[in-house]
Amino acid sequence: MITEKMRAAAKELLEKGEVETVIGWEKGTFWYNSTPAFISKPEQADRLVFDEFCANNLAKYLLDYRNADGKIAVFVKGCDARAVNRLLQDNQVKREKVYLIGIPCPGMKEAPKTGAAQDTASLPLLAKCQSCATPNPVIYDQLLGDPVPAREVPNRFAGVEALEAKGADEKYERWGKLFSECIRCYACRNVCPACNCRECAFDANGLNWLGKQNNLQENQMFNITRAMHVAGRCIECGECERVCPMGLPLMDINRKIIKDLNELFGSYDAGLNLEDRPPLGHYKLDDPEKFM
Amino acid sequence: MRRTGVFVCHCGSNIAGTVDVERVAKEAAKFPNVVFATDYKYMCSEPGQQVIKDAIKEHNLDRVVVASCSPRMHEPTFRRCLESAGMNPYLFEMANIREHCSWVHPDKEKGTIKSIDLVRKAAAKVVKDEPLQKSSIGITKRALVIGGGIAGIQVALDIADAGFPVTIVEKEPTIGGRMAQIDKTFPTLDCSACILTPKMVDASQHPNIEILSYSEVEKVEGYVGNFDITIRKKARSVDMSKCTGCGTCWEKCPTKVDSEFDMQLGKRKAIYTPFPQAVPNKPVIDRVNCTKFRTGKCGICQKVCPTGAVDYEQQDELITEKYGAIVVATGFNQFDHSVYGEYGYGKYPDVITGLHFERLINASGPTMGKIKRPSDHKIPETVVFIKCVGSRDEAKGKSYCSRTCCMYTAKHATLVHEKIPGSKSYIFYMDVRTPGKGYEEFYKRTAEEYEAQYIRGRVSKVYQKGDKLVVRGEDSLIGRPVEIEADMVVLANAMVAREDAGDLARTLGISYDKDNFFTEAHPKLRPVETHTAGVFLAGACQGPKDIPDSVAQAGAAASKAIGLLSKTQMESDAIVSNVDESRCSGCMICKGICPYKAIDAKLITERVGGKMAERQVAAVNKSLCQGCGACTVACRAGCLNLLGFTNEQILAEVEAVCL
Repeated sequence: MITEKMRAAAKELLEKGEVETVIGWEKGTFWYNSTPAFISKPEQADRLVFDEFCANNLAKYLLDYRNADGKIAVFVKGCDARAVNRLLQDNQVKREKVYLIGIPCPGMKEAPKTGAAQDTASLPLLAKCQSCATPNPVIYDQLLGDPVPAREVPNRFAGVEALEAKGADEKYERWGKLFSECIRCYACRNVCPACNCRECAFDANGLNWLGKQNNLQENQMFNITRAMHVAGRCIECGECERVCPMGLPLMDINRKIIKDLNELFGSYDAGLNLEDRPPLGHYKLDDPEKFM
Repeated sequence: MRRTGVFVCHCGSNIAGTVDVERVAKEAAKFPNVVFATDYKYMCSEPGQQVIKDAIKEHNLDRVVVASCSPRMHEPTFRRCLESAGMNPYLFEMANIREHCSWVHPDKEKGTIKSIDLVRKAAAKVVKDEPLQKSSIGITKRALVIGGGIAGIQVALDIADAGFPVTIVEKEPTIGGRMAQIDKTFPTLDCSACILTPKMVDASQHPNIEILSYSEVEKVEGYVGNFDITIRKKARSVDMSKCTGCGTCWEKCPTKVDSEFDMQLGKRKAIYTPFPQAVPNKPVIDRVNCTKFRTGKCGICQKVCPTGAVDYEQQDELITEKYGAIVVATGFNQFDHSVYGEYGYGKYPDVITGLHFERLINASGPTMGKIKRPSDHKIPETVVFIKCVGSRDEAKGKSYCSRTCCMYTAKHATLVHEKIPGSKSYIFYMDVRTPGKGYEEFYKRTAEEYEAQYIRGRVSKVYQKGDKLVVRGEDSLIGRPVEIEADMVVLANAMVAREDAGDLARTLGISYDKDNFFTEAHPKLRPVETHTAGVFLAGACQGPKDIPDSVAQAGAAASKAIGLLSKTQMESDAIVSNVDESRCSGCMICKGICPYKAIDAKLITERVGGKMAERQVAAVNKSLCQGCGACTVACRAGCLNLLGFTNEQILAEVEAVCL
């Protein structure tokens, strides 16, 4: 069982004093919740679990430990590992300050519609896991369990292609309706590993082109700006869409940008490795110059 | 509350003809923060500038807007005007109501309304302007010259004579370049070597000149006044400090190779100097062809060397040096005529190029100056010259005129007449272009006294018939086909850029045109400067040129470099990028996209939760930054701002026009 191995690994790291905190998951209020857990004592290791509900991407929490004295251990699934690469490439965490424990991920399940106990096998995979092509961690110091076979992934741009086929008015109406529902809670931003600025442009004072009002115009500005700010760096963990309380299809916007970038600058998957720089973060002599 | 003055220029009738300037000034006076507005015939003139200076004093202005021409034209003029009135020169905006309005709009009413809008925009921005300070940078008083041909040698001599140390980097084993290959020079027919080799010797003996032959520029870092240049000294396999240039090694070397210097018409050894007057006169080993390097056996040169200078183990050496200025003088190549089927795709041995011909008539060439055709060494009696091979041909060659071919073909025909009694030259041409001092007279002499027959028309085919080459073409002046049985055909190939010119341009960060010639900063007014400060151009690397033009341009480039090096400090522009360190997260996306390598990471220390913590942020090198603004749009947190064009200032403009 992965859970046992997790607990043993965390206990050992904390006992030997190799890390000062371990970030993992523990059971939440309900049986279908597994929430992030932060443990710093060996005896707390038994709280850790790994089950079908460990959807949270833990990498982002490393930002809270930027100035920690010791090392931080964090459990990483495929998507979490890509998020760690994101933070490493963005110079937000130092590799020598983190200890990564990889967990091959079989895919996470959706919470049931009702709280009644039921067989988890019958629950559908989360949307973000259905289109996941990297269930195995791409960076780790230690791997628990055997790598899982890559899942059969449908064309992840199918949704974008369907939207592209629509007329401009139809698209504008659709997004207008969706963005008018946005409550500007910023959950999408807070959970995103690519949103790692010290001060978000939407929190800053004096940037008077970014308004804080909750109306369609400003909501559009926010949602599009958020997507543009992670353009070329989005690791497709799908956390933004998963945490959106209004259920906005945010990955459609992210994937549209990814698709456009792939078409312009060649195929690129952010966070797969540290060497490949984001397409908008450097220039090559043979970059297309269609606008010139 | 700011006190802005608006000054509207008539520019004679340039603006006033299509814009009601008085109305613009009257409207401008009503804009917020504007306390004074007026118009004047020529704002840039001495009395016009006095109007501004007087108004600054009288109305206690702290911001100035001039509505006139493009800032590219007179922004520096008005900035100086503000400075002399005691104001910071950056508290100033220009509204371009000439190029952007009066020159492009015929309707006076609409043009006036647009002008008012443009002034409103400038007046909105100027109140957000902040005083900026120029910074100054030190200058390394040394110059690097890339290329040791006649242009490079001349630049080096001129700069060295002015008292500054110069390094010539030449990729061949010797300096001299193309001019060393040439026999005689037009229009005077004096011997090329006789005027070049003394200059080569001067360069090698000049106390301020260092020659790095068989070397190439590998990397260029830094900026004007402070370039850090890495030079690769290729392994010569000969210790320069021990070699005396006695020549024993190349006399004894058993391996013979086609000589590049002789255009493959003659032979050289595997250890060689390209020609007897080489500077430095010390050999290199051609490792590709040397028997020792190919098979491990031989080693004769090492055995016979009296000073033990031959070193087979020598490695390439990288050196990094600091320079203040760079002059690029990398010269040209000959167009490869193998794309022309009508001239035999370069397959007939007796169809040669102008440079081949130069080697054939050169007294130190492979034939000792006797014109012998390459195939059977017979002396040709009939020689056909074909001009514009690759020049002025957009389909297969280059669109430009190579400028030198008319003259050197005339020279070749003259020399054929002089050296081969009873010979006959035919010259196929499109036009004869001789725009130089004494050039037309030279051409006339060739045609009249030296009996070269000029035929206006193109050649449609050259083919072998027995030991003759049949040249078939058209005489377009009489409208008849002509056919000439020739012994040799000489093509006037176009001058083209070096094939690696693009690579060097990218290393240096200078621009180049569609033909890979380096681009000057302005075709008329800044012909030897590039857009990269501190990098200058000389000779044929900038475009086809003959020797007089190359030498003249070399002198010009040298004077620009001397002008730069004679300063101790240099002012750099204040319009540069600026980092808000408190908000910078140190992601360094900006570093990767900066085309001038002006951004680097630096560590800052700050107090976090009662402890001191180190954090990485972006830092802009103000001397390197050219103010292009690419980084400002890459920064998602918006903490990079271009001073003088901050987000707030631009937004103020947008609001003034759109709201």
